[in-house]
Amino acid sequence: MGFVMRVKLTEILRDGTLKNYYEMGKPAGYQVDVRLAYYRGQYLSVIDELALTVDGVKAEDQDLRLCVNGKEFAPWELREAYQEFWGIKTPATLKVRMPGGLAEGEHKVNLVLMFHCPYLPLPGAEHAYAPVDSCDEKIMTLFEAKNI
Amino acid sequence: MSKIKLGVTTHSYVEDWVDGKATLEDMFRHCAELGIDGIEIVQSSMFPDYPYVSDAYAGELRRLENAYGVKLVALDGNMDRGKRYDRDLNENEMLKILIQDLQNANKLEAPILKSQYLMGPEVMHKAEKYAKEYGVILTVEIHNPETPTSPIMTEYYNMMVETGSTHLGFTPDFGMLANRPNKAEFDRAVAGGARREILDYAISLRYDDVSREEGRKLLAAKDANGFEMGMFESMYGYMQFSKTPDYEGLVKILPYCPIMHGKFIDILEDGSESTIPYPEVLKVLNDAGYEGYITSEFEGSVKPGRSSFAYVREHIEMERKILAAL
Repeated sequence: MGFVMRVKLTEILRDGTLKNYYEMGKPAGYQVDVRLAYYRGQYLSVIDELALTVDGVKAEDQDLRLCVNGKEFAPWELREAYQEFWGIKTPATLKVRMPGGLAEGEHKVNLVLMFHCPYLPLPGAEHAYAPVDSCDEKIMTLFEAKNI
Repeated sequence: MSKIKLGVTTHSYVEDWVDGKATLEDMFRHCAELGIDGIEIVQSSMFPDYPYVSDAYAGELRRLENAYGVKLVALDGNMDRGKRYDRDLNENEMLKILIQDLQNANKLEAPILKSQYLMGPEVMHKAEKYAKEYGVILTVEIHNPETPTSPIMTEYYNMMVETGSTHLGFTPDFGMLANRPNKAEFDRAVAGGARREILDYAISLRYDDVSREEGRKLLAAKDANGFEMGMFESMYGYMQFSKTPDYEGLVKILPYCPIMHGKFIDILEDGSESTIPYPEVLKVLNDAGYEGYITSEFEGSVKPGRSSFAYVREHIEMERKILAAL
């Protein structure tokens, strides 16, 4: 162990996608689009770790959803999503419930996204597969679209 | 005149594809421009409705085939045996994946489906009747660190010989014929913090066929750091190389090889491939009477300012030059 694959072929945290989402006319939380760092898509069930931290505040699992294919998954639901395929060209949206949302301007966004490659078993191990690092961190700018 | 046919797999363009710089149509157009008439598609990267094929996608593919005179020569499938958290997939679940892939190949009129060795010879044997029904040759990929005569591939071979099926075979990947390390990877490791003398030592261990465990100990005794250990592990995995590539094994399984992956990492200034002795490989295949496709599979990194398309062109040019001289 110890060797972690990294296959970043495109931006993971997508620039220009950090924004607040609204419910009942009020900011109910924020969202950001992410892409998988690999050369092919993966079933959601291979995701081993998912966490999002903005300005040092980590989202609780209860408040975090990974949205793809028109569906929304809590972190603990991912490992059983054997049939839900996340395409390599498809941005997934991470939504974090946070009444009031984020302030306009710059935010430090940190994504932990670790998965395993289900066709690359680790030598000599039972039911253990090569870990892949799809984590990212960057300063992102949130624009409020309140006048649109 | 060699009867070997040249094709390209979509995997070669994957960096540009994933980053939105290339479309499937660009790939077909590039093949046509190069005079290449066969393309291989990696389903899990390219299919918008993976693991399924919509009628719309099938229609679009047909349009591209007709417009550019490039036909689908193979589909690539993945055997995601480890997609469950609690256990490996069982035989029925793996067979289901193969049946779906074979249906896709049939729908798109791909004559060959490549899958991966984790299915195991028993599941492949069970899938044979479906392959026959769908008129598709089901192959298992032989990828580094496997070789045509490694234990698991020998099991596959024996199963194929016993069943005598015309619908089972292998897709050898030329990576297993590499006879030298990949220079670009080593340069990157040095830039990342690996010491060249330790890497040279690791290379010598690989050349001398020192076992992986023994090599780990020897490197640890030299205080190898993480970058150096990582390169060592790669040399026993996907970057494996040997002074004596298994040509004999390749020729032995040749009757079961309808297609091969022309792996390449980089084309050097002199026009040769960086790790695989293509002149030797193509001569061995030509002398043994191979007449199938070799699909160019670029697996290096695109250097800044270049595109994957340029690498594919150089690889095809190199192969044509070698084949013309045979």
